[in-house]
Amino acid sequence: MTITLPTELPADAPIVTRDVTLASLSEEVSGRVLANRAPRWWWIGFGISFTLFLLLVIAMTWLFVNGIGVWGVNIPVAWGLALAEYVWWIALASGGTIVSALFFLTGSPWRSATNRIAESMLLSAVPCAGLMPIMHLGRPGLFYWLFPYSNVMGVWPQARSPLWWDFICIVCYMLMSLMYFYAGLIPDLATVRDLAKSRGKQILYGILALGWRGSTREWQNQRTVYAIMSAIMAPMVVSVHSVVGLDFAGGLTPGWHDTQFPPYFFFGAVISGTAVIIMLTILVRWGYSLQNVLTEYHLNAMAKVMLVGSLMLAYAYVWEAFGPIYGSEVADKTEFMQRVFGFTSPAFWSEKILTVVIPQLLWLPFVRRNQALLVAISTGVIVGMWQERFVFVTSATEHNYMPSYWGVFFPTFWDWATLAGTIGLFLTLFFLFLRFVPIVSIAEMREVVQKENGR
Amino acid sequence: MTTLYGVLAVFDTPEAVTKAAVYLRESGFRRFEAYTPYPVEPLNRIVHPGPKRFLPLLMFAVAILGAGYGYFVQYWDEVLNYPLNVGGRPHNSWPAFTVSAFEFMLLVTMAAGLFGMLAASSLPKLYHPLFQSRFFARASRDRFILCVKASDPIFDPKEVEEAFGQLGAEHIEEVRT
Repeated sequence: MTITLPTELPADAPIVTRDVTLASLSEEVSGRVLANRAPRWWWIGFGISFTLFLLLVIAMTWLFVNGIGVWGVNIPVAWGLALAEYVWWIALASGGTIVSALFFLTGSPWRSATNRIAESMLLSAVPCAGLMPIMHLGRPGLFYWLFPYSNVMGVWPQARSPLWWDFICIVCYMLMSLMYFYAGLIPDLATVRDLAKSRGKQILYGILALGWRGSTREWQNQRTVYAIMSAIMAPMVVSVHSVVGLDFAGGLTPGWHDTQFPPYFFFGAVISGTAVIIMLTILVRWGYSLQNVLTEYHLNAMAKVMLVGSLMLAYAYVWEAFGPIYGSEVADKTEFMQRVFGFTSPAFWSEKILTVVIPQLLWLPFVRRNQALLVAISTGVIVGMWQERFVFVTSATEHNYMPSYWGVFFPTFWDWATLAGTIGLFLTLFFLFLRFVPIVSIAEMREVVQKENGR
Repeated sequence: MTTLYGVLAVFDTPEAVTKAAVYLRESGFRRFEAYTPYPVEPLNRIVHPGPKRFLPLLMFAVAILGAGYGYFVQYWDEVLNYPLNVGGRPHNSWPAFTVSAFEFMLLVTMAAGLFGMLAASSLPKLYHPLFQSRFFARASRDRFILCVKASDPIFDPKEVEEAFGQLGAEHIEEVRT
């Protein structure tokens, strides 16, 4: 027997509202880019973000002048917030690729309107992730030694180390995401070019569109390549975040040395990435008044993805506890008990509540339709995931094998400034995408509009 | 200066443009192209019949080369150039080398796809005679455009314009280079 709750969206709920036509879709989405003046909320958001970004510049300058002693890291806890936030940021970015690439492969219609938001989000988050390990290097200026290039010093990276795999993954991921983004963007840039009134914008978008004309040959090539690219990006993003897990699993530290961490990290990426996309979608929806293109259908679908992510994460948490308790390694057990009941316990428990317990509300259809609740739950998920990474990274080195070697980690002002600053960098980049790039994939939406609304 | 490039016709539905393309193909025209706001499924088979395997094959070939090169860089580093005994592990630790080789393979495959796609579509090409038509900009919004090129062996402007008129074109125009 199936029970249909009265507030559930009907199966044939519109993906786009009835009033959207091919012409109005192109004009509305391009109009946000071509408007001569950005709306007031954009300036306020950009202003706040840019201020925070300046804080990052100050924090980085202070860090580079004084060394990483300005952070709370020391022996025994040598990996502090920078590494935790590196994992956090790369998880947010990975979530963007999952929504964009994986749901292209499944042919989900809601992906067409949200993929540009997801990809802009991930392109804004990857630089934040990439900065973290570089800042954490004792000599950041020498990070390019990680590239396997022939040099007069004869210095080569150690190709057996997961840390080096991770570097290769991040570099490849950044470049591939840019190519994937651009391959999908070219037809939309052509639309903006054709609608531009001022000479400057015609030339700018004309160059960016590379002379796209929309011939059948161009479409055929673009769709073939884009489909293969999606099939590449989906396993790619799983591998990237798994290798991040291997950074830790490859170490012998109790609490890190466990084969479960590649999927554990990936599950976190699904839920936290989707949470950011939901928040940004709601921002774009209201800020750019695109309620007719970004409908409740999309929010409902993404809320379900977030719920699935939460269930997968719950599964990972069960194994996080089962491994140390069932295993015979004393250090693992001690470390886990310290993590759960020791110094980090407030962060540990609130994190479980925020990422696993509260998202269960998404089972209720009215919660999935209520945007205020969605924003609240998503914020909780993002904060909870930050706590998870923080507890995971610091508590392991706080309770290593030798009790004489135990310690605690306290973030300093500069730790928090770096966190706030990277959030500023992320939002600054995202607001720039919002202003200069059609934030909804017009070309893909046209097919949805044609299918749903006829002409 | 003003040689004829071709004749374009503007249609307002995907069905109309498909019908017109079928008519052109059946009348023996070979050099014509359709310009649409989104990929219209049957058009591709009508305008460019035949298999289209170049790009997938290119990406596959580059993937194999990329995987080989990605592995070789690590092999050269750890076995040939600077062999280093780390805890008795073999110099050629292939399981450890597959990760970076895999990532590098995907990177060059993506690049081959993107640049192959541009090359196969002869982009970037910032100027094209069709951009002179006032109506052509609609092809990136809500109109479907067909253009028969003057280089077609059986091209005759009068005949083509007449045929377009009968096929229900909204607008017919001669495009000059």
